[in-house]
Amino acid sequence: MEPQRKRRKGSACDTDSWVAYPVLSDEQSQDVELIEAFAAPIVDKKETSRLVRELNGLYPMITLQHIKRVRACKEEGSPHPLEVLVCLVSDAHGQEKMVSIDSLLPSDFRRDGLGEPFVVKVPARPPLTRPQFEIASKHWPLAFHEDKQVTVALKGELFSPLQKAKMHMYMTTALTAAKAGREGGMEAVGAVAVDPAMDRIIAVSHDCRGKHPLHHAVMVCIDLVARSQGGGCYSYDQYPACHFSSPSSNPFENTSEGEPAFQPYICTGYDLYVTREPCVMCAMALVHSRIGRVFYGTTSADGALGTKYKLHTQKDLNHRFEVYRGLLSKQCEDLNGLEDHFEKEHLKE
Amino acid sequence: MNCSFTDLEENTLIAKDALSNGEVPVGCLLVHQNQVIGRGRNQVNQSKNATRHAEMVAVDQLLDWCRHRNRDVRAVCERTALYVTVEPCVMCTAALRLLHVPVVVFGCRNERFGGCGSVLDVASADLPRTGTKFKVCEGHRSDEAIQMLKTFYKQENPNGDQTHTHTHTHTHTHCVHICVLCTFLFPHLFISLFLLPFFLHFDSFSLFFNRVPSFLCLSSFFLLFSFL
Repeated sequence: MEPQRKRRKGSACDTDSWVAYPVLSDEQSQDVELIEAFAAPIVDKKETSRLVRELNGLYPMITLQHIKRVRACKEEGSPHPLEVLVCLVSDAHGQEKMVSIDSLLPSDFRRDGLGEPFVVKVPARPPLTRPQFEIASKHWPLAFHEDKQVTVALKGELFSPLQKAKMHMYMTTALTAAKAGREGGMEAVGAVAVDPAMDRIIAVSHDCRGKHPLHHAVMVCIDLVARSQGGGCYSYDQYPACHFSSPSSNPFENTSEGEPAFQPYICTGYDLYVTREPCVMCAMALVHSRIGRVFYGTTSADGALGTKYKLHTQKDLNHRFEVYRGLLSKQCEDLNGLEDHFEKEHLKE
Repeated sequence: MNCSFTDLEENTLIAKDALSNGEVPVGCLLVHQNQVIGRGRNQVNQSKNATRHAEMVAVDQLLDWCRHRNRDVRAVCERTALYVTVEPCVMCTAALRLLHVPVVVFGCRNERFGGCGSVLDVASADLPRTGTKFKVCEGHRSDEAIQMLKTFYKQENPNGDQTHTHTHTHTHTHCVHICVLCTFLFPHLFISLFLLPFFLHFDSFSLFFNRVPSFLCLSSFFLLFSFL
């Protein structure tokens, strides 16, 4: 552990060189989808509340609960002050896009104060992030229940300098392990499992594919966490850079309040730092292991936490977690760059 | 000869182990040129490693088998089929791709984690850096097999949530475990019958065992075993 401690001092000031961005679900990161609707000017402002009430009864627009029914007119000096959504174009069966207000409303509807309809585009889905909200609200006003954490995270400002310094240290440990793996003739990938509650490294691993084709760094790390809990299946004695720390050496375990000792369960509540985006097998192994959060340096071609899949946001799976990318991205990319270089050399041969 | 009496005995031991450990009831076999070179059942609770699915355990045996005979792992895997009671999860599907296993035969679908079409289709997805795509054969009458898994999942995981008490519905547990037992026994049947779909037998057994008390299941199973 001695060299890592030295590194911590030297690198803590480099935390400005990288930004951790969240890897959000497709729903959170996709473009704003628009659908067409008929709107009509409200010529007489006094009729507004009646018109909204009666239109809500006639065309409830259940799928568009996020849309505000009425908007103020944008342009200065507009002949009418407000505009109201009448219905979706798809709700007006068999209607052309050029319609009269009479064809949209039943004969017993009081049309007082309502002008002739026109087509507008409104956001089809509620906005989930501030960027989505800002784009969507240009088309039609809508409600937005903001997740402040996501907003801050998207700006890359979620973590304080102190947190970033810790993250920097853990990823540096993963990088050191990755280099050890590379020196042993394996792929340059390193992983570190951390208990964030205790600020403590539980396991450090690197790729061990030399003896076992499935011993990717993340799989090794998960097994080392199991060993730290008295389980595990493999011995990594021939790889000194792969190690774990047993919870028995944990000073917090014997709590003075007489609480029952905390029993760690697989990777619940742990953070994983890995130099590159995990593959499908490793990502699903992290789902099975109930990992708390995952931080990775660079993306990978078949990656399953953002690139090919987003297993951490997969609706059908029973565990979801936060993923951040970009930690020490430059240094992690350099590892991969070397690897690509080796691969090309290999292909040439 | 592919299976000897000691093999059978060993199977029974593994199956008994499964019975007493309350793991998710999945059993699998890796068959290479009519020979079982890997067999596994879930060891998640036992190893405290959530990745110890039956497939991963069986793969370790395959690797040992290759090591002892000095055989090339990839060459062996490319001529190996996996037989498993339940659709492999996303992780195992990716692992089988990475090993270049060409065929996977399974009984019922796995709606919670399945990687061969249920949650995701990793088996035939375009992932150029994740091994080779493989063929999937779904077993017959998967409904009953699904029902058994559901029955198992109704119980609580003893390690999953420590605030709840752990209550087992014993008949169901045993019925489910019998299926594991069956899976471990059947290689010998299906090898002798050129890998005839063992799920047919598997299903009829489970139907039978679902209707009799668990101790009877056990005793009749052992009767059957001695008969074989």
